[in-house]
Amino acid sequence: MSEPFEPNIVAFLCNWCSYAGADLAGTSRVKYSSNIKIIRVMCSGRVNPLFVMNALQQGADGVLISGCHPGDCHYLEGNMYARRRFGLIKELMEFVGVDPRRIHMSWVSASEGGKWKDVVEKVVEDVREAGPFEQFKRDKINW
Amino acid sequence: MVDQAVIREKAKEIVSREDVKHLVGWRKGTFGYRVSPHWVETPEDAEKLIFSPLCSPNLTTYLTLEEKLPLPKGEEPDRRKTALLVKGCDSRAAVQLLTEQGIEKEQVLILGVPCRGVIDQRKLEEKFPEALGGVEAEWDGDKIRLRFPEGEKEIAREELLAGNCLNCRYPNPVWAEEILGDEVEPWSDGKAPGVEELEKASPDDRWAFWEKEFSRCLRCYSCRNVCPMCYCEDCILDRLNPTWVYRSVNYSENTAFHIARAFHLVGRCVGCGECERVCPAGIPLGKLNQKMVEEVRDKYGFEAGTDPESLPFQASYDPQDQEDFIL
Repeated sequence: MSEPFEPNIVAFLCNWCSYAGADLAGTSRVKYSSNIKIIRVMCSGRVNPLFVMNALQQGADGVLISGCHPGDCHYLEGNMYARRRFGLIKELMEFVGVDPRRIHMSWVSASEGGKWKDVVEKVVEDVREAGPFEQFKRDKINW
Repeated sequence: MVDQAVIREKAKEIVSREDVKHLVGWRKGTFGYRVSPHWVETPEDAEKLIFSPLCSPNLTTYLTLEEKLPLPKGEEPDRRKTALLVKGCDSRAAVQLLTEQGIEKEQVLILGVPCRGVIDQRKLEEKFPEALGGVEAEWDGDKIRLRFPEGEKEIAREELLAGNCLNCRYPNPVWAEEILGDEVEPWSDGKAPGVEELEKASPDDRWAFWEKEFSRCLRCYSCRNVCPMCYCEDCILDRLNPTWVYRSVNYSENTAFHIARAFHLVGRCVGCGECERVCPAGIPLGKLNQKMVEEVRDKYGFEAGTDPESLPFQASYDPQDQEDFIL
């Protein structure tokens, strides 16, 4: 008997917009998939590409990075750096053969509880399609 | 093309200067056809300098490798310049270091030598196994002339050039105090061979390819050590707390290491091909780097090490950066 695949997704949310947006979704009782595990960071620019890789290595099936809309960053330009960096790590991972559906980035502001729900549903659906991540998961190797 | 005699004369003149500590160039190595770096301290040392298609080492890396020991009290630091012979790609590395403030402008004296591409030692050994017994090489138009002890041989340039030289766009030094010899005509549009085929392949095929390559990695970190751009004093690969990349040699960690290495070079890699040359397992690291070089060039219009005034790519942004991938 096999259970349906429930993806395990790590989300890095910026403290000032996306985390508050997710909080708003919670307080307004919006219902969304529970596959997402949130890690709060101070800014999306704090997200080192190594975070993404380490999450995938340690058993995440997908990663979501979310920050403020361009121009809204609490630190003025942190999300601009994040955007540039993310576009590149996504390309690089894709070139190595990691399914591009596993890595996502979004802009969610503190007032967009509804958008947060849509983003989560989209990411969960994408990762569910991509299936469990086995490519370079750490515990798959046993020597 | 430049005459060796010109280089030697210039080197003599440079090292006799008061403000120059030494000059780094190439000389014939002690084994077979190999070439090793050569430190010219006195005018006599300059006699050993050579420049040939075998001079692949990128000497820019010695600018940051030089160990700076703490000085005894009251002693002034040595502020004399390090002179350096650079090919086109090496000069880009120097410019990139300059924009990142890895080196100071006053600290170096760059002598450029235009280059028609260097020989890939694996191709050389495959085509001419006798090269291990020693060979001298020189450019001759679109050919490379190899001088063996038993006689001369000629071969088309494309057949021997290293992968990164085939798609070289900057054979002439972009930044140098003085360029020795005549400039050469660039021969490529910068599209690396093999990258496009991989891009077109399915994700599974790409993964199969890289899994096979990465699983051979010994984690000797030669690619990191030789790279002119890898000069962090505290490298994430050596760090134990937090451990970003474990030291175990398996393809999970190897993949993580190679992605991390390639990512640290995004917008910084100058395509000198040193990582690929020194890799004992023959992993085509150049493909990984070149893919990102093309990505950055095509989508962001940035080329590493071409403009001494530019900001480092990953430490700057453009409000108009593409964001079609953002939800």
